[in-house]
Parts: sequence; C-alpha cells; structure tokens
Amino acid sequence: MAAGVAAAAGGSASGERVDWRLAAPLGLTYLVFFAAPFAILLGISFYADAEQTRLGLDSWTKFYGDGFYLKVIFDTLKLGVFAVAATTLLAYPLALVFRASGPKLQRVLIFVILMPLLTSVVIRTFAWIVILAREGVVNQTLMGLGLTAAPLNLLQTELGLVIALTQIEMPLMLLPLLTIMNQMDQNLVDASRALGASKWRTFFKVVLPLTLPGWIAGATLVFASATTAFISQSVIGGARLVYLPALIWQQSTVVYNWPFAAVASLTLLFTVLAGIMALGWLGRFARTH
Amino acid sequence: MQRSTFGDVTYNWVIGLLAGLGILILVAPVIIVITTSFTTSQTLRFPPPDLSLRWYRELLDPVRSAPIHTAAWNSVWVAFVATIAGAVLSVLAALAITRVNRPSARLLEASFLSPLILPSLSYGLAALMFFSVLGIRPSLNLLIAGHLVVIAPFVFRTTLASLTQLDPALLEASANLGASRFYGFRRITLPLIAPGIAAGCFLAFISSMDNVPVSLFLSNARTGMLPIRMWGMMESTLDVRIAAIAGVLILATLLLMIVMDRLTGLTKRMSA
Amino acid sequence: MTTISRRDLLVGAGALGLAASLPLSARAAGSLTAAIYPGTWEEAYRGVVAPALKKSANIDMAFDSLFAVDQVAKVRAARGVPPFDCFVLDPGPAAAAMQAGLFEPVDAKKLTNAAKVPDGLITSHGVTCNAQVVGIAYNPKKFPTPPKSWADLFKSPYVERLGLTGFQTTFGTVSIIEMAKAFGGSIENMEPIFAELKKAVAKAAAVAAPAAMPGLYQQGQIDIMYTNTNTVAILKGRGVDIEFVKPESGAITFQTTLHIVKGADNVENAYKYMDTAISAEIQGALQQQPYNMIPINKDVKLVDTLDIKSVDELTKMVTHDWTKINPVRAAWIERFNKEITK
Repeated sequence: MAAGVAAAAGGSASGERVDWRLAAPLGLTYLVFFAAPFAILLGISFYADAEQTRLGLDSWTKFYGDGFYLKVIFDTLKLGVFAVAATTLLAYPLALVFRASGPKLQRVLIFVILMPLLTSVVIRTFAWIVILAREGVVNQTLMGLGLTAAPLNLLQTELGLVIALTQIEMPLMLLPLLTIMNQMDQNLVDASRALGASKWRTFFKVVLPLTLPGWIAGATLVFASATTAFISQSVIGGARLVYLPALIWQQSTVVYNWPFAAVASLTLLFTVLAGIMALGWLGRFARTH
Repeated sequence: MQRSTFGDVTYNWVIGLLAGLGILILVAPVIIVITTSFTTSQTLRFPPPDLSLRWYRELLDPVRSAPIHTAAWNSVWVAFVATIAGAVLSVLAALAITRVNRPSARLLEASFLSPLILPSLSYGLAALMFFSVLGIRPSLNLLIAGHLVVIAPFVFRTTLASLTQLDPALLEASANLGASRFYGFRRITLPLIAPGIAAGCFLAFISSMDNVPVSLFLSNARTGMLPIRMWGMMESTLDVRIAAIAGVLILATLLLMIVMDRLTGLTKRMSA
Repeated sequence: MTTISRRDLLVGAGALGLAASLPLSARAAGSLTAAIYPGTWEEAYRGVVAPALKKSANIDMAFDSLFAVDQVAKVRAARGVPPFDCFVLDPGPAAAAMQAGLFEPVDAKKLTNAAKVPDGLITSHGVTCNAQVVGIAYNPKKFPTPPKSWADLFKSPYVERLGLTGFQTTFGTVSIIEMAKAFGGSIENMEPIFAELKKAVAKAAAVAAPAAMPGLYQQGQIDIMYTNTNTVAILKGRGVDIEFVKPESGAITFQTTLHIVKGADNVENAYKYMDTAISAEIQGALQQQPYNMIPINKDVKLVDTLDIKSVDELTKMVTHDWTKINPVRAAWIERFNKEITK
C-alpha cells in the first residue's frame, strides 16, 4: 500500500496516465460487488416476458415505444436539473457568506449545513408534510402576511418536491463547494477588486471559475441523488408525479416484471451518467477556456 | 477602500437574501422535527399540544426500545466499516485518475460513480441474485460490502474535486527537494485534500445510515437496520420516537463537533 | 442511541470474523427465521408469539422485517437459498408467490389448532393467522355524518377531503374494485371506475403513496381514506380522531396468511410457529391494544375495540378472488400511472 500511495504523489504531479495500481483496489471491489450484479440486471432486461421464459427485446421496445415512459425519463431528468439549479442558486451565496465569516460563525454555519443530513429521510418526509400542507406552515405564513387569500397547493406538486429536495440535497452541493472555496486563493479575489472590478464581475470572472471543480462535484452528487430519491419523490411528490425510481419499485416488487424494471433501471443509470459526464465535460471546457 | 457602487450594493443584498433563504430552507424542517420530538401527544403531530421529554425517555429505555438500540448499533457499525473501507479505496482511485485527460480516465470516473445512480432497489435485488447463485446468504459482511459499493462514490467525487484544485507546483517543488513520493503524499497532498475526504466520508456515513433498499435485500433476520425499523414505526403507528432519534443524532453530532474542535484547537496550540 | 464501547467494537469485529469463516451460517436446531411486517406486526410477533414459542417448544425466533411485496421479491431473488423460513403475506403477494412456486405444501394434520379455525382458512399451502377488514376511515370531528357508500367518496363534500391511493397495496386494490362495482363495473370491467378516478383526482385532497397516508391524515391534509380496521384501531388507540365505517355494500375482508418458504431449513419448527400463532391464547392476546388484530380462532371472544362482533361476521363480508385479480393488476397499475399522472 505504501508503494501505491507513494506512486500517487508522483502520479498527481506529472499526471499523464491512469495509475492502474491505485485504481485497482476499488476497481476489483466494484468488479465483484457491482459489475456482476449489474451484468445480471443487463441479462434480465433481455427477457421478453415477466415470467422470464423467453428471450427478446420486447421489454426494451415496450419501454422506448411508449410516449408515457419517455415522458417519465424526461421528468426524472428535469427534476434533477431543477434540484441542481435550486441548490446552486442558494449554495453559492451561502458558501460566499461562509467564506467571509469568522471562525466562530463558520462553525455554526457548518452545523446548520449538516443538519438536513442528521434527520433521517423517514422523519424528513413528515416535516415536509407539515410545512407544505394546505394548512401547513408555508400557507399559514403566506395567508398571515396577506400574500395569498386561498391556500396554495404545494404538497404533491413538482414545486413542493423541488423545495424539499433542495433542502435534502443542499449539503451534497455545499460540502464540496466549501472545501474548494477554502482552497481558493484570496489574493486572486483581492487583485480583481483592486483592479476595479465590481463584486458581480469578480464573482463571475474569478470566484466562479476557480470554484467550478467543487460545483461540478456537488452538482454530480445532487443530480444523482435527486433523480434516485425514491422515498422523497413518492411521499412528498405523491402518486400523480411518476418518476423512474417509483416505476422501478412498482415493476420489481408489486407486479414482479423484472425485465421491465431492469430496463427502467439501466435507462436511469445511463441517462443520469450521460448528464454527469456532460457536467465533467463542462468542467474541462471551462478550465481550458 | 473602494466606494460602494450600486452594483456592489445589489450584490450584497442578493447574496445576503439568497443565503438567508438557504439557511431557512435548511433549518425549517429540522426545527419542526425537533419541536415534534418534545411533544406530549402519542403520535407525530405538529404543532405539539405541550412539551415534554417523554419520547426521549421512551427512546432511551433499554427494555421498551431494545430493538431500536440493536438496529441503531447495526446501522452505525455497517456505516462505520463501509465508510472507512470505502474511503481508503476511493482516495486511491481518485489519485489514480486525477489530472489525467485521457478517455480511459473519464470512463473510469463514470464507472466509479455509477453505483450512486443505479437505483439501490435494483442493485439490492441484483446483488442478492448474484450472491445466491454463489450460495452466499445475506449476512452482515455482505451488507457491509453492499453499502461500501453504494457510498464509495461520495468520497471518490469529493476527493477528486479537492485534488483538481491542488497546485501541482507544490508537489514538484517537494520532489525537486528530494522528498520521496510517499513523503510528498503524506506531508503535502494528504493534508490539503483532507477536508475533501472528510466531507465525502461524512456524506458516505450518513447515506449508509439512511439506506433502505440495500439493507432490505442484503441483511438477514439477525441484522435489523435502523431506517427499516423507522419506516415501520412511521407507517403503522406514527411513533414519536422517530423524531426523538433525529434529536439524539443532532445532539450527538453537535457534541462530536465541539469535542473535535477542542482537540484540533489543542493540537494547534501545541504545535504552535 | 447506544454508545459504542470498546467491548462492543471487539464483539462486532469478532462477529465479523466468525461470519467470514462460516459463509453458510450454521443454524441451531431449535431456531426459526420468519419474515414479518415492520411496525405493529413486528412488535406483536416479537412480543407475544416468539416468547410463547420459546416457552412451549424451546425455539429461538428471529424476524426479518419486510413488507409482503419485499418478502416475495427477496425470496425470488435468492432462489434456492431462502433467506427465511416463513412468509406472512396478504392475498395479492401470496397469489404471486404461489404462482412462482415459492411455497412448501402445508399439512393441516400437523397443526393441533387446525380444528379451531373456520373452514377454508387453512389451505394446501398456507395458514390464515389474521383477518383484515377494509372499509372507510374518516375524521368524526370534520364529518358528523360519515360517507355511507363507496360511491359517496366521489361526491362533495367527501371527495375534497379524500386521500386516494392506487393498486400497489392489497387494501387499495380491493377498495378500488368495490368502488368499480358501485359504479356498475367489475373486475372484468374497470372502465367506470377509471372514469370516476380521473374526475376525482383533480378534486381529491391527496393522491399519495400509502406510506404517506397516516401522516397526511394526522396533519389534517386529508380527512377520509380507505384502510383496514387494524390501522384505524391503532391510530384511535393513540388518541387520533378517527372512526371506521362499513360501506353499505359491506366491508371487505381478506386473510393474512403464514406460509413455509420452499426449501426452508426448519420446516418442523415452522409448523410449531404457525400452530402457536393460530392458538386461542395467542389470537386472544393479539386482538388487544396496541395490536388490534382480528382473530380467526373460533374459541376467542372478540374485544369491542375491533369494529366487528364475531368471527362469523367475517363470512358475510365481501371477498375477492386474487387468481383473477393478479393477471390484470399490472395493466391496472400501468393505466393508473398513465391516467392519474399530471
């Protein structure tokens, strides 16, 4: 192991080739514990019927030949994009405030940021029912302020779900962003300001590009997590919003159509991976320009 | 100092307002859960009619809450082992592909992230099928391996982000000064990426504690897990103890942070 | 939460090492592993059935908490290496498991309490351990006059306070079938109810996952739902404003059944477990608060918290043939998805 770690220092410094010795331990673990189950899933998807008696592409053609399922894919990805957009919009300002704060306030902020992770998904769904319900906290506040006469319906809507996901996923965006922001060189920010750039310009031209690796890491985690958040999607989103994870659950445990569930799972995997690779590509594009 | 221009004033306002909204969204549900946990009523209900420590006493009762304690201990142990093992493997893997611009590196990156995206339900079922073919029954070890796979991407991704930001000149300087590569890693790379690793570990640990589907299919009857037990309590009885569990977890984290803060503060003073 | 002591860590590490050296865990002769529903069922079986079995037959029980659908999925995935010895299932998943050949046959002669159970409740592959009665639950504080029939749920003012769930649960499926009948449909013809559902979803207070229903009800988001008497009794026992009402066309009943998993390790112990579960003593204990399970043993005198008077009353209720429902259920679910989705 020491030799492997030693290679790392050189590897990251010269950085030309993948150091396979370092990638091997995780790679082999995945090969046994992930690639093999994945291959089984792929195999099952080529059964034509729920009873798994005939081979064929029927499950694939049924899934991709039906406009409803295409819309479910689209809605799932859209939900991921909304979650990334909402967490980004709130996480960057929070990270900037964090950076500007003194050590004491920073400690409090870190605790606040970690809080959503400390409430289990089970009880969190209850909290969101309380907040978003017709007689819930948001509606009582809005009506108390006279902003709306009739209660808004937020529970079991896409808007309500995105709000809830924003809270749940925000730590996934903030933790990588904060670590990168702490590594950022303050001199560059000061220099930009000293040269007369406005705060907005400094943010977009200096802070944003420097912290992009952190954002990409965060966005990757948020996107992956929001698109697969089965419990939040079904309890807060309700039965009128159908996303891929709920479909997979129905097909694999209620009607036992495993080939169809496998097709839906692989579709989720590949579409979300494509989204994540696009994020990575964006990162390299930004770095080279 | 520069004069505050109109643009800078709006910047301060916009950033301040959004950050405030962010904090509100982060905190509000937690406040509701904590308030509810102090209720006197028999079921989860907000607002509580009156406040008491009743449900904390109930939760800490070694007899009446024994199955919850066992499940909590199982969950903590699985999350702990899976996180430690996953972190070591993931940091090595992140080191292997950082700063490599080849397609092979991109492909590896995507593969290492993929367990995060494959729905855990499908993964749990497929993994159970695979190990059953090999004649391996669900067990604590299998459960740990399953959790390791689905949580390792968290550490992998945050470590990779920290490494990307690292200044290669630092390592070159150290190498030029004749330091061994392992020494360079231990004294330069590791301290710089430690916050990234720590952040990833925290996410990994918590997501293991919260994982229902993998535990559902890879655990056996002797390894009851906390989130599954909490689901049962939520669905059938609206048991307030599930809110009290959140309260205990938050308090424990707060204490842990204070202790760590004291310890690191101490080491800083000692090294200074 | 438990604190982690050094000793615990050592024990944990030791257990890991031991488990690693014994991949196919050796099981003691006097043991049994049964799947059980999480929540009240698990509390009841851990608290009442397991100690009784330990006392009478010296069998150590372990429970794997899984919902019915997950039990069937788990055993299917683990084909040949059953993860537990006994199922507890509702009719939907039970019919699916039967079709997939996941049960060992049951010999009623091996059960000493078999004669105490009404005819038909012990079949060639399963033993009924509990009856479920499904009807309408409502908030008496909000509705002094409750809805009387399934059709009423679709009328004002009830529909605006209704929590709708689909076909993914047994109680949801049978309730919607009865609603279909109320509008002139049947299992063969669900058109009328889909037309009504389509109109109702726009007005209903919530269209949600079954898991969300108790929380939604408790927070006043919904005031009417269809569910079983067991849920109503549990919530009522915990001080929630909730009452059960039988629809005019009759309440629905179905059985919760115990089965031996195909290839189970401890078949003899499984018989003892099932026999204990249906004994008058256990059935009598399980009908009490906080468990509220409807007994099926004829010797048991029913308590008045159950919303039914006698075991005989069950025979007059509405029942369904799941061998007819299961083949068409996947299509109903798909249709519900497509028509109810925004």
